[in-house]
Amino acid sequence: MKKKDIILIGTILLIALISYLVIHFRSNNTGNIVIVSVSGEIYGKYPLNENRIIDVNENKGYNRIVINDGKVYMEEADCPDKYCVSQGKISKTGEIIVCLPHKLSVEIKNQSEATDEIDAVAK
Amino acid sequence: MKTKRRIIFEIAILILIMIMCSGCGGTQKSISDDSGEEEREIYAMDTYMTVKAYGGGAKEAVDKAEERIRELDSKLSTGIEESEVYQINKNGGGVLSEDGVYLLKRSLELWDSTDRTFNPAIYPIMELWGFTTKDYQVPDEDEISDTLKLTDADNIIFDEKTGKVSFKKDGMKLDFGGVAKGYTSDCIMKIFNECGIKSGIVSLGGNVHVLGNKPDGSDFRIAIRNPDTQQDSYIGVLEASDCAVITSGGYERYFEKDGVIYHHIIDSETGYPADNGLKSVTIVSKDGTLADILSTSLYIMGLDKASDYWYEHREKFDVIFVDDSGTVYITGGIEKNFESEYDVRIIK
Repeated sequence: MKKKDIILIGTILLIALISYLVIHFRSNNTGNIVIVSVSGEIYGKYPLNENRIIDVNENKGYNRIVINDGKVYMEEADCPDKYCVSQGKISKTGEIIVCLPHKLSVEIKNQSEATDEIDAVAK
Repeated sequence: MKTKRRIIFEIAILILIMIMCSGCGGTQKSISDDSGEEEREIYAMDTYMTVKAYGGGAKEAVDKAEERIRELDSKLSTGIEESEVYQINKNGGGVLSEDGVYLLKRSLELWDSTDRTFNPAIYPIMELWGFTTKDYQVPDEDEISDTLKLTDADNIIFDEKTGKVSFKKDGMKLDFGGVAKGYTSDCIMKIFNECGIKSGIVSLGGNVHVLGNKPDGSDFRIAIRNPDTQQDSYIGVLEASDCAVITSGGYERYFEKDGVIYHHIIDSETGYPADNGLKSVTIVSKDGTLADILSTSLYIMGLDKASDYWYEHREKFDVIFVDDSGTVYITGGIEKNFESEYDVRIIK
């Protein structure tokens, strides 16, 4: 085997490795998304791994949703019972925070088909 | 020499292609899954619901399911003035529709078989505590004993054939709150079947019901909430197909007064929140109506009595109990389908 062969094989394997890493990294990145819905209609989709604050001010009232360090919680709301705020932080696929008076839901979904994913929570 | 080089080159290209394909697989799959499913969020029956169907005809099936949910809500709600239940409670009697007849019939059967722990006449005591209006109060003992005179379901006069209902005492009221969601999920499964749907999942305010398996052939994975903590934790995961999974627990609705927590599962024997050593009870059954009723009933019974009840009727349902010390107990029929990081004891 000549030196050129080794360089050729090395280059191809390197491309393969980079392609694999790019695909793997991207699919991980888009894996967990936060879906905010109002009255059953999707209001917005946000990656779980990017910190941000989402202010929703629809006709029913005001909700402030915070995504921080891979967790999502309702920081503030002007609904009467504030149950959505007391529901705490969620981070796993299938988990959901609901503000019933405002008909608003915040759900974590996974786009890739991980086998340990949960389909629903009985509660 | 030249052929050897070519072989090496081809192998390298092959590896490259294989790696790239394996990386793409997942993305392509989720796209094809998306095309044959319909998922909808619905706000009805004072709660949050999700309804999901897979395969051809999914949209039509979910449309019909939503229509049925709204119909049942408007018939059975204690809070909607036009509902048959509201009218019967206001007028001290009336006529139930086919849905109402089925619910009262099943409710009264289970009132008997569960030794009066499931009570379709409990509404006046729920009103007294304020659970119907969220205007909570702790009633005094006289108020409770007076109100308990109106919550004996034996005093409901009911004719199954005509649907006619009346009460032996003035002020008695019907309440299908502990059974309506279980019945509704039964109705949705029936609609899915009629529409040719082979796979679907609904959650009606945490009452889960699944039809068939997931489209990939595996069982649905249903997490059971940990009653001790906020949402972020589960006591385990149940793998299930073709059944309802319905949990009752004191954590679902409660209020605090002078440092004491009063939850909404009222024992109609005492008129106070049930306190028999359990934190949550999950029923697994093909019959959603039964599962909804028994989740309340077995919570009130406590572990020993509930275990006996299960043993007598074990071909109809299984149970996951969490007691006050945090120990998890499951019944024999779901031993192989339940995974948990907690200590789990098997009831046989």
